[in-house]
Amino acid sequence: MKVHQIASWEGALAILIVAEILVFGAINPNMLSLNVLLYSTSDFIYIGIVALPLTLVIVSGGIDISLGSTIGLSAIAMGVLFKLGLPVEMCMLLTVILGALCGVVNALLILYTGVNPLVITLGTMYLYGGSALLLSGMSGATGYEGIGGFPDKFTDIANAMVLGMPFPLFVFVIAIFFVAMILHKSKIGRNLFLIGQNDRVARYSGIPVASSLCFAYSLVGICAAISGILLVSYFGSARSDLGTSFLMPAITAVVLGGANIYGGSGSILGTALAALLVGYMQQGLQMAGVPNQISSALSGGLLIIVVVGRSIVGHWDLILDKWNRTFSAYQATKEAK
Amino acid sequence: MLKFIKNNRESTVLIAILILFISISIADSSYLEIQTLTMVFSSAQVLTLLAIGASMVLLTRNIDVSVGSTMGLSAVAVATALNAGFPLPIAVLMALFVGALCGFLNGVLVAIGKIPAIVATLGTLGLFRGLMLLWTGGKWIEGLPNSIKELSSSDFLGVSYFGWIILFITAIFAYLLSHTQLGRNFYAVGDNLQGARQLGVNVDTTRIIAFTLNGTMAAMAGVVFTSQIGFVPNTTGSGLEMKAIAACVLGGVSLLGGVGKVIGAILGAFFLTQIDSVLVLLRLPAWWNDFIAGLVLISVLVFDGRLRVSIEKATKAQRYARFRVDDKERSDGEQKISSISTKVKKENLS
Repeated sequence: MKVHQIASWEGALAILIVAEILVFGAINPNMLSLNVLLYSTSDFIYIGIVALPLTLVIVSGGIDISLGSTIGLSAIAMGVLFKLGLPVEMCMLLTVILGALCGVVNALLILYTGVNPLVITLGTMYLYGGSALLLSGMSGATGYEGIGGFPDKFTDIANAMVLGMPFPLFVFVIAIFFVAMILHKSKIGRNLFLIGQNDRVARYSGIPVASSLCFAYSLVGICAAISGILLVSYFGSARSDLGTSFLMPAITAVVLGGANIYGGSGSILGTALAALLVGYMQQGLQMAGVPNQISSALSGGLLIIVVVGRSIVGHWDLILDKWNRTFSAYQATKEAK
Repeated sequence: MLKFIKNNRESTVLIAILILFISISIADSSYLEIQTLTMVFSSAQVLTLLAIGASMVLLTRNIDVSVGSTMGLSAVAVATALNAGFPLPIAVLMALFVGALCGFLNGVLVAIGKIPAIVATLGTLGLFRGLMLLWTGGKWIEGLPNSIKELSSSDFLGVSYFGWIILFITAIFAYLLSHTQLGRNFYAVGDNLQGARQLGVNVDTTRIIAFTLNGTMAAMAGVVFTSQIGFVPNTTGSGLEMKAIAACVLGGVSLLGGVGKVIGAILGAFFLTQIDSVLVLLRLPAWWNDFIAGLVLISVLVFDGRLRVSIEKATKAQRYARFRVDDKERSDGEQKISSISTKVKKENLS
């Protein structure tokens, strides 16, 4: 029953993506070419790369709103490390470690204080974002130019083709595979579901809550760092404000993908499809000539409509019951008159 | 002392404000003036209004991340109305109405649509921002009449007219929360939704009212913002939603609902603004702001969280103290039990 429900939701998302592409294709036929569909992913797929591990965190009943700042921090750290004269591979490794560290700090603070994850990551959002600004200010990078001058070897990474896919999309596909394995097929994944269902029961039944949460949050940090590196490589310059625009779409993707924001349920495939839905929506609106800002209104509207629709479908019996009761009560009063 | 902090959660931030003031005054005696206080207050006005509104929603155990966009939309409303030639009071009322409508929509989505508050307001965050840009076409609104700018520039006893209005609003909300049925309903709904329903509180209406008040306060913040800077940029209010929530959390308004006071939220907003002014005074570049704000926020959270954990432990220990058996008594008791059980065994055998 439950598997069937989730599967039908993912089917609905897939149909929505196809419908969306067709609608935009009708407005601007360019949208229908396979090349455009493939290459435009390089502009938005980072939403998906961070939304995947975020699903893990949301399934465990938490949330991480510091990931946008983590992307910015890793991007600027990449630039600063490169400027210090380290080899590019070393910079990338250190940046990923920094991202993981950001995630672990989040998890440890949440576990140590017992404060709501939303509040803690709100604090670390300022902390990491502030650190990014601090790093960029200290290294003398000006706001909009950032740190540039990377070798071609590095800037080619994001523009390379692997197995017929642009590299960021390839990373996304690999990430889907790994994160889906972790969440749906491994012990840690089961633990995360249980923690999200009931934290206290999980603790009392001897599930390693602390290490599971540390793992989930550090995975968010790692993926944020990877997106940061890809963004730097794609744009050719490291800026501290690279990640801020990915936070809300990432949360939207997770929620659209069918995860419960209070924890305990969610699926990786759903998140992945929803990320594509949100991303192609941005791209399609841009190609249809709609200004960038208005597309944010439409994606906000989409989120509300989809969630309301799901809520109505989910509570259909209840609504029907209430309607019947009001209707019969109305008839009863009519007869009494 | 611990008990005082437990019962007055906003005292933590008050202490932090005082420490900041004293330590800066030691470093630079010119900081210790009434003028500094009013200066910080005037730059904290927008955040204060947002924090007052946010605390209403947080009290009912919801969250509203759309206030930044609501503020932007209302700022556009007041500016457009003024440029269209409406008199100032009417224009302000129109802006407040727009804000209330936005808040009402959030409330309906959460209370009747049964959508988790963070998801619903995340959607309206984008929606309102887009509406604002659609309305203005992404342009800035300039050339506002002087009547609205005067409300912030001219002052009475060192505080601008809007400053006095904000103090008045604060007093109203403090009274509302502590002395009226509606205010107490906010606490009841946030603390225990089922319990509140059982007691006959109309929980849906209460939550919708909380969101509507929040929207109205965001609109007020938009008006104050417009009056302070004299034009409406298309990014008005973006990013402030998180800052407003941060101010509430600093001031001891719990995200788990039912705990907190308006005065705490205001102190939190004051503190966040004060940090900025201190950085200016210490001649640190602007890029330190967010870093230090984050550091302070995290340390207050860690301190507050650990304090609450230890207080909880202490109360638990007190409550169960009479059940605890000392080591000596325990060994005595075990001997007694064992002697009894051997007696029983013997009796059974015989």
